[in-house]
Amino acid sequence: MKFGPKTYSATGLYDELVDSNGNARPHARRLVDYFSGMEPGELLDRQHAVDSTIVDMGICFTIYSEGDNIDRAWPLDIIPRAMPGSEWDHVESGLKQRLIALNLFIDDLYNERRILKDKVVPAELIDSSRNYLAPCRGAKPRHGVWAHICGSDLVRDHDGVIYVLEDNLRVPSGVSYMLENRNVIKRVFPSIFRNHRVRPVNEYPSALNAMLRSIAPESAGDNPEVVVLTPGVYNSAYFEHTYLARTMGVELVEGSDLLVDDDVVYMRTIDGLKRVDTIYRRIDDTFIDPEVFRPDSMLGIPGLMRAWRAGNVALANAPGSGVADDKVIYSYVPDIIRYYMGEDEIIPNVPTWRCSDTKHLDHVLANIADLVVKPANESGGYGMLVGPHASKAEHDKFRELLRADPRNYIAQPTLSLSTAPTLCDDMLEPRHLDLRPFILQGSQISVTAGGLTRVAMVKGSLVVNSSQGGGSKDTWIVEDGD
Amino acid sequence: MLSRAAERIYWVGRYLERAENTARIVQQYSQLLLDLPPEVGVGWHELVEIFGVDRTFDARDQERAILEFLLSDADSGSSLLYSINMARENIRNSRDLLPQEAWENINELYQHARRSLERAADGESRFEVLSDCIGRCQQINGIFSGTMSHTSPYHFLTLGQNLERADMTSRIIDVAAAYLQQNERLVLRYGSTLWTNVLKSVSGFQMYRQYCQPQVEGIAVISFLLHDRQFPRAVSACVETAKQTATALPKCEPLIRSLSGVAETVPSPLPGDLDGAAVSDFMDVLQKRLGDSHVVVVDSWFLPAA
Repeated sequence: MKFGPKTYSATGLYDELVDSNGNARPHARRLVDYFSGMEPGELLDRQHAVDSTIVDMGICFTIYSEGDNIDRAWPLDIIPRAMPGSEWDHVESGLKQRLIALNLFIDDLYNERRILKDKVVPAELIDSSRNYLAPCRGAKPRHGVWAHICGSDLVRDHDGVIYVLEDNLRVPSGVSYMLENRNVIKRVFPSIFRNHRVRPVNEYPSALNAMLRSIAPESAGDNPEVVVLTPGVYNSAYFEHTYLARTMGVELVEGSDLLVDDDVVYMRTIDGLKRVDTIYRRIDDTFIDPEVFRPDSMLGIPGLMRAWRAGNVALANAPGSGVADDKVIYSYVPDIIRYYMGEDEIIPNVPTWRCSDTKHLDHVLANIADLVVKPANESGGYGMLVGPHASKAEHDKFRELLRADPRNYIAQPTLSLSTAPTLCDDMLEPRHLDLRPFILQGSQISVTAGGLTRVAMVKGSLVVNSSQGGGSKDTWIVEDGD
Repeated sequence: MLSRAAERIYWVGRYLERAENTARIVQQYSQLLLDLPPEVGVGWHELVEIFGVDRTFDARDQERAILEFLLSDADSGSSLLYSINMARENIRNSRDLLPQEAWENINELYQHARRSLERAADGESRFEVLSDCIGRCQQINGIFSGTMSHTSPYHFLTLGQNLERADMTSRIIDVAAAYLQQNERLVLRYGSTLWTNVLKSVSGFQMYRQYCQPQVEGIAVISFLLHDRQFPRAVSACVETAKQTATALPKCEPLIRSLSGVAETVPSPLPGDLDGAAVSDFMDVLQKRLGDSHVVVVDSWFLPAA
């Protein structure tokens, strides 16, 4: 395969656009044709056009360590990542199956606890979890749904199989960048869309709004008041909070705009107090109500948990939902799906060894050099060991940690994430990527067409986080036969 | 509408207006000084007075120091860059209520201002850079007036814009009042140039010519800028627009009372024996009353209900 004068090679890797013989995959043929006709200078010109469109549109994100520089232009590579529609349909059904099962699981944990009594999931695992919140016991959110917005991270291994790497059930972010990536690519490359049937992504704000309305207390009637609750302008996802509030046409509020009186939530407006029915909260569980959780929280609203438990306000996601995105619980998701739905999982989990299980622990200790070891409760890649990239001393240190606190660790094989052609300097090179689709569940369930593709911009790196130099791509679900 | 959101949008209106006025005043003043010989006694320092700043600048390179202070100094609360940045921050935090294009445009304006305003202190590109800033401010106001429904966010924007505009016009009149004191020979020779500049500082020259006396002379210009009800930058027109806007908001009576007080500050028609000192005194009272109206806006809508 040639892009411009240079040969593109992804030998030994699974590439999303190009097969192992160097030919374009059928769903990516026209896309590859389009870009392979471009000289390096033209590719760079297009990248500059994309970059300046992003600056002009004010698409930015925040890095905490940068002092008061609160904007960074969002990094977007010019080459879209494409997947065939038929493959996506399969992934979509798997994501729906997974979220439905996880919500049945959460609802069960805070009510009857059947799955624990039946010993499918060990009770001590739940009771020792930091994310199992006792104040949520006995709560009955509408439709039995707790995690209304889920961002699941998908990866494709070198064998071409797509796995779920983790489920984010607390406050997953990134959907605004998925939407803006498409807007930018449409502005800069209007002509390539003429040759492809790419599924649109822009119905997400309407779907989110409809979902949030569907979970409002029944007493709110036909026109519930929905708000987005943000920690404020210094939060790294503030861009997204304003984006979603604006595109849904609802108020963006901060904690100080809300108050609870007689277990009812109100916002302060120019007309006085106005009742609020659904809060899409983008602040963590333990900050939402200083009466119940962290008393030092300046972001929260005293009394919010009372109002929620009384059924006077809906919270998305419901507090306590995070219990199901613990990495040890993750390893039980196939069992959870089987238990509640009587089905096998449609998208496989990455094989996972639980260190709490002695046999698993022995395997991990013996093979630590080939494995990735992760703490159960951390996110963002903190406290992880990547066996093949670590020294012998680090292996020994982790062996000690595992023996001391086995419940807190899991281990997985080191995956070789799939790649896609990415503009690096003025050449196209393979770079590893993942995919975060967003699933919404209220009275209905829906999945974004594709999601946010994140790219590790450093050669060979598997780190896709934008805070650590990762980039992104527009994600195309292309109808088959195009 | 949230009280906090209303407050931010009100400041969007104020800062955007302040930015446009600052750019226009500096641009027109720069043009004026090209036409005046030094003995007229009008220099860069009078420009700083318009902004209510009491500060001395390095005499050797006064033009440059003053222009940096008024244009590109990000730490000076009187600078154009500061106003643009404050408008941008308030639009950033109000993106859920304002048109998306407004955010894109203020962002472009800010990037432009950051890159170019330093150069504008030098002189050569000043006219062009400031024209660009004025044009971009007008574009954003055009987006607001062309695409926003006339609901509460729009009303707060309009309130902020008109209170700011009335205040700025009154400051220009205040400084211009000094021209009435100039010695007769200079007034005869340069009076028309000076008063034309005053009108151009508020984009009022053409409208004055079309609807008022063909003669450009002091008292008539001041009367036009204070009492004309049709010219949108005249104090009376701004106060009237603010009053009309207030009637669409809840709990508007205190502001309407306060604005009526502003409108009655200066008698119409102007007293026949008006001199520069008297005009200056009227303007002080006018500015104080406009400040009181601002406080009424804050008390009526922005302070959180208990």
